Amino acid sequence: MITLGHFLAVGAILFGLGLIGFLTRRNLITMFLSAEMMLQGVLLNFLAFGYFHGNLTGQVFALFIITVAACEAGLGLALFLVLYRRGRTLDSSAWQNVREAGLPPTVDVELFAEPEPEEAMPVLPVAGRKPGAPSLEGANRV
Amino acid sequence: MPNALTNPINQLVLGLVLGLVGVYLLLPQPKRRAVAVGTFLSIAGMGILAVFLLQTLGRPVNSIVGEVLFWLFSTAAVGFGFAMITQRNPGRGAIAFAFVILSTCGLFLLLAAPFIMATTVIIYAGAIIVTFLFLLMLSHVAGPSDENDRSREPLMGSLAGFAFIGLILFTIHQSTLAEASTAVPSAPLTAKDRENLASAVANIDEALKAETFEDFRGPMKKGHDFIGEALGDDSQPLPGSTPPVLARRLRLPKDPRHIELVQSAKKLAKANDEAENKTLLGKDFPAAKEAAANLRSETILFAGHGLMPARNVANLGYTLYSEYILAVEMAGTLLLVATIGAVAIAGRRKGVPA
Repeated sequence: MITLGHFLAVGAILFGLGLIGFLTRRNLITMFLSAEMMLQGVLLNFLAFGYFHGNLTGQVFALFIITVAACEAGLGLALFLVLYRRGRTLDSSAWQNVREAGLPPTVDVELFAEPEPEEAMPVLPVAGRKPGAPSLEGANRV
Repeated sequence: MPNALTNPINQLVLGLVLGLVGVYLLLPQPKRRAVAVGTFLSIAGMGILAVFLLQTLGRPVNSIVGEVLFWLFSTAAVGFGFAMITQRNPGRGAIAFAFVILSTCGLFLLLAAPFIMATTVIIYAGAIIVTFLFLLMLSHVAGPSDENDRSREPLMGSLAGFAFIGLILFTIHQSTLAEASTAVPSAPLTAKDRENLASAVANIDEALKAETFEDFRGPMKKGHDFIGEALGDDSQPLPGSTPPVLARRLRLPKDPRHIELVQSAKKLAKANDEAENKTLLGKDFPAAKEAAANLRSETILFAGHGLMPARNVANLGYTLYSEYILAVEMAGTLLLVATIGAVAIAGRRKGVPA
């Protein structure tokens, strides 16, 4: 038999992973998905407690959590749209000038690695035409 | 050394540290990102945590199908969760999140919540599609980008998350140790009781098929024995008194569900006595059969206590609209306000006065 503890452990791990994602990632949409994953962990806890007590109260609470998550999704995506219109970026650090007074700004000190030079792709001529021959496209369109 | 590895606390700490280092290595960073090592360490950490859970909570014995499904869905949920938070490409992250949702929906089904499962699939599928559209619309980055290829405080963030997981798992460990000695609110009917009651019903069924009194008596005797064992006393409990095992287990006498359970147990004991008397008298065969049929239905009713109702949607609706009607109204209001708010926030355009 799977016990209550198994489900609680899975819920806790989901919540913890969501927490890590929310704290460390900088893309607003990834942060939002991490918050949703934390909600999934809580949902699992409610359903497990409800199941092992043999009543439906846990499922009722789960429904309310889903309602709140839906509201959160709507408002969150609307806010992302507004922020994107202002800053043209999804980076949450772009708005760090609204941080608490007296806190130093976070500066990215680490540089990106040098991008590897892309290999030049071979260019194929249009079929049926000699490479280097003058184009006929302009002539047809007159 | 083997002793140190079988100690659950060591396992917990080892699993958490491995997972922490793995996630730290996997989180997007401009340099020094070791994907292979990180993946290996995360998987090893999760495996050790699974061993810890098995050892702490006991290896599941019966219900092989449920066990397999549980491990399948939970492994998938945790694995795709890892993939989601460590994936650089937000689009792939969204796909991984969709799989997290599907896996947790499988776990919801195991927890007898089909309606919540369906709701979650519908709502989150919609939400993920919308998120996907947003990603297609808003993120068009070529080359390394600040928001996808950098993490904010990767070490501190993973430390916080894994400290949280460790705390919860340690608490579960402690409470399973405590469960053996102290009384926690447990299910009023144990799996053993249910097994006994099921055997009793099977025996009574056999007795009801009997043509003669001699064939009737043997299975009935066995059925009475099983019911007596489930009710917890060798000497039959007096009709009208609470069976002693239940009385010991029910520490919350004010709970209406428990009052119902005790009444059901009393009814069962009474029906049991009646059927036994009629069998022992051995005169009126149809009356004895009738008493046995009554005993059978009482047994089934009693065995169903503490289980989830079979008609999930109907019962969920009944509970929602009888006990939680105010909360339902407030949730509806919340949705309405959120819709208006979202339109008000996102609808503003440049140059158009609000």
